Amino acid sequence: MKKDSITAAMPLKDGRKKFRVRYMEQIDLQLMVIPALVLIFIFAYLPMYGVLMSFQDYDIFGGFFHSPWVGFKHFKMFFDSPDFWNVMRNTIVISFLRLLIGFPAPIILALILNEVAHIRFKRIVQTISYLPHFLSWVIVSGLAMSILATENGSLNMLLENFNLINEPINFLSIPNYFWGILISTGVWKEIGFSAIVYIAAIAGINPEVYEAASIDGATRLKKIMYITIPGIAGVIIIFMILAVGDILSAGFEDILLLAKNPVLQDVSDVIDTYVYRVGIKNSRFSYAAAVGLYKSIISVALLTIANAIARKLGRSLW
Amino acid sequence: MKIRKKSMFLFLALMLSMSVLFAACGKGGEVSNQNKTVNQGTAGNFVLGETPLKFSFYGNYDWYTMNPWGQDPATKWIQENKKVTVEPIQSGGTALQKFNTMIASGKLPDVIWGDRGTDVEKLRKAGKLVPLDAYLDKYPNLKKWAGDKTLNMLRSEDGKLYQFPNWYTKRPMGNGGYAINNKIYKDLGSPKLETFDDLYSYLKLVKEKHPEVVPFEVGISGQGIDFLYAGMSEDRTVGHLMNRAVPDGNVLKSLFSDPVYREAMVFANKLFKEKLITQDAITQTRDQVKEKINKGMVAIYGDFTTTVMGTEANSMLKAKDPEAGYTMIWPLHKEGVDPNKVWVNEFDSLGWNVSVITTAAKNPEGIFAYLDWLTGEEGERIIFWGPEGTYWQGTSDTGAPLYTEKYANDVEERTKLMAIWDTFQWAGNTTFIDESKSVNEMNLPEDKRDWATVSQTNVGWKTSFDATEFGNINPLPDSAEGIIMQQIADIADQVRAKALFAKDEQEVIALLDKAEQDAQNAGYEKLLKFQTQKWQENLKKINEK
Repeated sequence: MKKDSITAAMPLKDGRKKFRVRYMEQIDLQLMVIPALVLIFIFAYLPMYGVLMSFQDYDIFGGFFHSPWVGFKHFKMFFDSPDFWNVMRNTIVISFLRLLIGFPAPIILALILNEVAHIRFKRIVQTISYLPHFLSWVIVSGLAMSILATENGSLNMLLENFNLINEPINFLSIPNYFWGILISTGVWKEIGFSAIVYIAAIAGINPEVYEAASIDGATRLKKIMYITIPGIAGVIIIFMILAVGDILSAGFEDILLLAKNPVLQDVSDVIDTYVYRVGIKNSRFSYAAAVGLYKSIISVALLTIANAIARKLGRSLW
Repeated sequence: MKIRKKSMFLFLALMLSMSVLFAACGKGGEVSNQNKTVNQGTAGNFVLGETPLKFSFYGNYDWYTMNPWGQDPATKWIQENKKVTVEPIQSGGTALQKFNTMIASGKLPDVIWGDRGTDVEKLRKAGKLVPLDAYLDKYPNLKKWAGDKTLNMLRSEDGKLYQFPNWYTKRPMGNGGYAINNKIYKDLGSPKLETFDDLYSYLKLVKEKHPEVVPFEVGISGQGIDFLYAGMSEDRTVGHLMNRAVPDGNVLKSLFSDPVYREAMVFANKLFKEKLITQDAITQTRDQVKEKINKGMVAIYGDFTTTVMGTEANSMLKAKDPEAGYTMIWPLHKEGVDPNKVWVNEFDSLGWNVSVITTAAKNPEGIFAYLDWLTGEEGERIIFWGPEGTYWQGTSDTGAPLYTEKYANDVEERTKLMAIWDTFQWAGNTTFIDESKSVNEMNLPEDKRDWATVSQTNVGWKTSFDATEFGNINPLPDSAEGIIMQQIADIADQVRAKALFAKDEQEVIALLDKAEQDAQNAGYEKLLKFQTQKWQENLKKINEK
């Protein structure tokens, strides 16, 4: 009786109360979400004030409040720097190569694995192909460097034994080979792990659809074309949008470790390695922050554009 | 009721997370306040060994890990007899981040041990370091062993001394140079090997007769290539390449337009093109180099760590075949160059690195007193060879510890302990240690002598250039000149590598012309002017008194 009268007295706050009531009903679940939100707030949102550093001449002793404001000085310095166009070109080219080769590779692997009937063999291939993901780039680059070495490098020895070359090729010092080496080691390292998502998505397709197709006389290839690929298209598009947003992240550790020879700098210097080499290593924090902020802004713009295109296709991320 | 209980719970959870947040902020503020009220360096009445002393110590290197204090005979002895305890703050493999975090949070360690230059200057300018001048006369070891010249050079712009040097020296030191593979050399008839022409024909011979080995192994980053510059003319040193500045009279000039550098790069290109230099010169890792020299797969080996890497390689090869192994030879040079003016090493009297005492230290005098004791005879004996009675017993008249039987026989355990003690060596006294070593080494029969010591005494130290006057001539990286320097460094690294891969001599010259032009556009002249000025100031300091 009493309860009813209170409810009747506050008809305007109904919507908000509903939210509160709804919230309280799932409080045990919501409590589990709170730590995650706090974590994101502390580690992703709070440090964002740091981007203001890029408009200052940051002094590490004075800290944020005692550093002079300098406007767009550091951005201007980056755009005017002789390295700018080279860095941008490398970043974009390497990213597009990754998108062109590195992105479809795990999808193709997933499709191939899906066609393997022998379960044990399939599992073994899957396990072996995703193991390299857990190796750090330091190890992978060490492997790549000893395989590609001029003296006693396995690849050169192999090619020489098959009489394909007369003398060893200095793979890691020839700019023309660098992009190829970078992309292929990247694919080798990540293909298996990235394929897991697609394999899971394929597993979610209703097997009855395949059965129906078989009855209709569809070939294996046709089943892949008309059932499997459309079935995982949603997942592919989501990952595609995310990959486009990452276009300016052409890689960091892999390039840093594989492109040791300064001869390669013309083809290997990308935004992240540039920030590290010029900004962080020389303690030019403001400059590093400015270049980083520039990268983030472009990335957000690209992400939004990619999503808008996807929305037209009816499968957007948000 | 139930709902209220739940919201209470929620409220508490929120409070808890907020209080964690505030606690984190509060702590930072507290510490920075603490730093403001500090001792600014006046000599009090501290007596080492009577007053207990405890301080924190941070080594600013990725690779450096200090061993736990008091767990080994030497630091245990120090703890018991000198009442000193040191708490390590480890870099955890990320020294740069750790260092910056400590500064940004205002939580500095009592002592920072690291390279001279940028980081020290940054701290000093921010008023975070304690000047040491007041203690210099009270504790006499540093003054006695380092000498006024070295201390003057270590002084900062404001005329005060903030840095306690490590491995400072009055005598030359260095590990670099050429070592030949004895077996191959003998096999090929031990030809004369003094000039670059000799080198070229010897390498050709090696390639012809022993195609399986690397004729000239130049180490990581192609270090040995820099030796070619050093041998191309008199009084050229590898340091010119690091500073990218060549002295000419009273001014420093461009490296890229220097005719000697050009000649050296043309020669390097020729050797590389004809596959006489290791083809992985620029890209190989230290392990790859080690594998080759330890297996005896190189005919000549030359880089900045020859006496270090050579020792292991030499003993491994000698164990299999007493005829094998490496011998260090006098640096090669161009025909007509005086061999006594070829410098493949350089040293400065300031030594390797420094310790600085920060304003966070509660007892800076005590810390200085400890470092001063450490750099003196007693301290050096304890930290290098351990407490008396194990590896040494009694001293010579110069204070050198006299090795016991155990020193020669207990190699494995001793090597392990000496490596541990090395992490406590923050005030190395090169002159004392080296003289003590040679006192003992000379008592040994020739075949028992240490390969590194013999190589250093005969070659390494004699071919080391005193570059004290070129110390600290480079600008801070975030200054206008520093930004130029970073661009020049990029240009220099690139042109050096590109020159190796060039088709012919014309291309090498064209690359260097282009580098010169790019460097000038980047403001090379301004940088050289800055370096020249610093260099001249150094000369003034050295010649003072």
